[in-house]
Amino acid sequence: MSGRINLVLTAALVLCALSLVNAQYQARRLFIELERAQAAAKQLDIEWAQLQLDQSTLGKHARIEANARRDLKMMPVTPARTQYLTVGER
Amino acid sequence: MIRAGSRTAAAKGVPFSASPVLAVKLPVWRSRLVLFVLFSAFAALAGRALYLQGISTEFLQKQGESRYARTIELPATRGKIMDRNGHVLASSMPVKAIWAIPDDVLQAPADKLRELARLLDMDERDLRKKLDSDRNFVYLKRQVEQDIADKIVKLGIPGIQTRKEYKRFYPEGEVMAHVVGFTNVEDAGQEGMELAFQKSLAGVTGSRRVIKDRLGRIVEDIESVREPHDGKDLTLSIDSKIQYIAFTQLKEAIERYRAKAGGVVVLDARTGEILALANLPTYNPNNRAVLTGAQLRNRVLTDTFEPGSTMKPFPVAWALETKRVVPATTYQTAPGRMTIGSATIGDAHAHGLLTVSQIIQKSSNIGTAKIALQMPPQEMWELFTTVGFGQQPKLGFPGAVAGRVRPHKSWRPIEQATMSYGHGISVSLIQLARAYTIFARDGELIPLSFQKLDQAPAGQQVISAQTARQMRAMLETVVSPEGTAPKAQVPGYRVGGKTATAHKLAGGRYVNQYVSSFVGLAPMSDPRVIIAVMVDEPIGAHYGGEVAAPVFAAVAANVLRAMNVPPDSSVTDIIIPKDAVQESL
Repeated sequence: MSGRINLVLTAALVLCALSLVNAQYQARRLFIELERAQAAAKQLDIEWAQLQLDQSTLGKHARIEANARRDLKMMPVTPARTQYLTVGER
Repeated sequence: MIRAGSRTAAAKGVPFSASPVLAVKLPVWRSRLVLFVLFSAFAALAGRALYLQGISTEFLQKQGESRYARTIELPATRGKIMDRNGHVLASSMPVKAIWAIPDDVLQAPADKLRELARLLDMDERDLRKKLDSDRNFVYLKRQVEQDIADKIVKLGIPGIQTRKEYKRFYPEGEVMAHVVGFTNVEDAGQEGMELAFQKSLAGVTGSRRVIKDRLGRIVEDIESVREPHDGKDLTLSIDSKIQYIAFTQLKEAIERYRAKAGGVVVLDARTGEILALANLPTYNPNNRAVLTGAQLRNRVLTDTFEPGSTMKPFPVAWALETKRVVPATTYQTAPGRMTIGSATIGDAHAHGLLTVSQIIQKSSNIGTAKIALQMPPQEMWELFTTVGFGQQPKLGFPGAVAGRVRPHKSWRPIEQATMSYGHGISVSLIQLARAYTIFARDGELIPLSFQKLDQAPAGQQVISAQTARQMRAMLETVVSPEGTAPKAQVPGYRVGGKTATAHKLAGGRYVNQYVSSFVGLAPMSDPRVIIAVMVDEPIGAHYGGEVAAPVFAAVAANVLRAMNVPPDSSVTDIIIPKDAVQESL
């Protein structure tokens, strides 16, 4: 009788031990994954800042004006050449 | 025979007690000795265990931890600076500092060192000189961009290390330099808003203790993480489009008149936000190899000058407010000279009989002095102080100056007279622009802000709305063909303002160098912006109406269009007379 109990308990112990090992392994694996995701987030953050910077550099008014004047041959509007429309007026 | 017999006996299962071995009598001390040795071995083990577990645990645990645990620094990024529309004006990007252990590096092959010098954009001789050092840590170059740093690491020179750091980039460059300022290599603010908001822009570095596995991957946190706190982003009140307009127009004027310096400030009349603040000469914050004090100076805020005629509207407004005069009250300004005490003041031209309105329009010194002398010095001083002259501006901007207004008790009549037209007191351009909010806002003075506001701050009523409206009407006549600044006219919009031309003081004497300025409002039907322009030492022309007023007109025209302000005038053709009224100096 006691031999059988011992057998069951031993089996349970082994199972518990194995599941502990497994849990620890899973935890570490997930942790590494989390780390990787966080690193990727950081990298994307940097990239975003870089893109914002690029947008500012390329969208500089000096550049826009130079391009508009030189390449597109545009001119600033003057009130004399502008038709103003008021909402609700006929 | 006996031996063989006994062996057979044992094999046959002779009872133990009958074993002949037992019959051998050994001395007692031998078993005692064995027992003693065994026990002392156990005692030694127990002692060792006690020593390891009890006494030197801490040391051992530390040693163990140092083999798998690492403290990682978590860097925090400095906050970005943005304009009111979210346009980035300053942003930090990760870069690398390259450092070396000189003795190790010098053993590298010569061609690798040459390649390193090329990548670092340095002369090979300079590089060797740097490495020829007794120290075991030498910075080769700081703030190296990531891709170049990667190439350097790829060279595989022993003793070359990199360290992560941040570099600040300023996409708007020289246009925005004086407002934004810059940081040093340690990412700490040195000038402008970078310095003023250093505390909130700078982040707080965090750290974490982790366990690393054999491949260097982090597997576990041992202690709770000290999170890094990135610096807060800062949204300025500046509109980069308006800033660009102001900067280019000022630059054009400075080049045309070969002026020494100049400044423009554009205020939102409704909220007190500073929409643009440009200074020349300027510098490129991305490349500060050669910097002079003149380039760094934020003239709008840190330079004071004798304003001249732009002061005239203040005593006149006060005379209107206290009912001493009405706009139609007349004053005799002929013959263009007036003696007060032992001194004589004068106008550029004798104007004859002028109304108060015309005194502003033609900028008559004598007329203004006559009006000012009707009031006690204390009242004038109080007005100047209330609108902010001689007071430290509450802007939080490093280096903003208070200017100088002498205490009224020491004013002699001649001084009160000259102060009424802006001599004998000194102000900064931003103070002047702010003081004009009382005309733009129906008598209310509001605080200025470098940060974007959600709602207008509370103002302080200085003069009545009626006086402010009367003053606006007068300021509008200044830009008419009969005024001192017809060149300040803007097609499609009603504008107004006041010109000033002041001799500069050098060594306590007035010299033939001038400061031309113009402070104006637009559009007059409901002022949205206040624009103040100052040009220092123009050559070829020096009248405010000639030098500064056109800058105002160009800036106002573009700014009103950029802000989508509907035109309030149908006049689109501007008449500029050949000989405009010259104002008094």
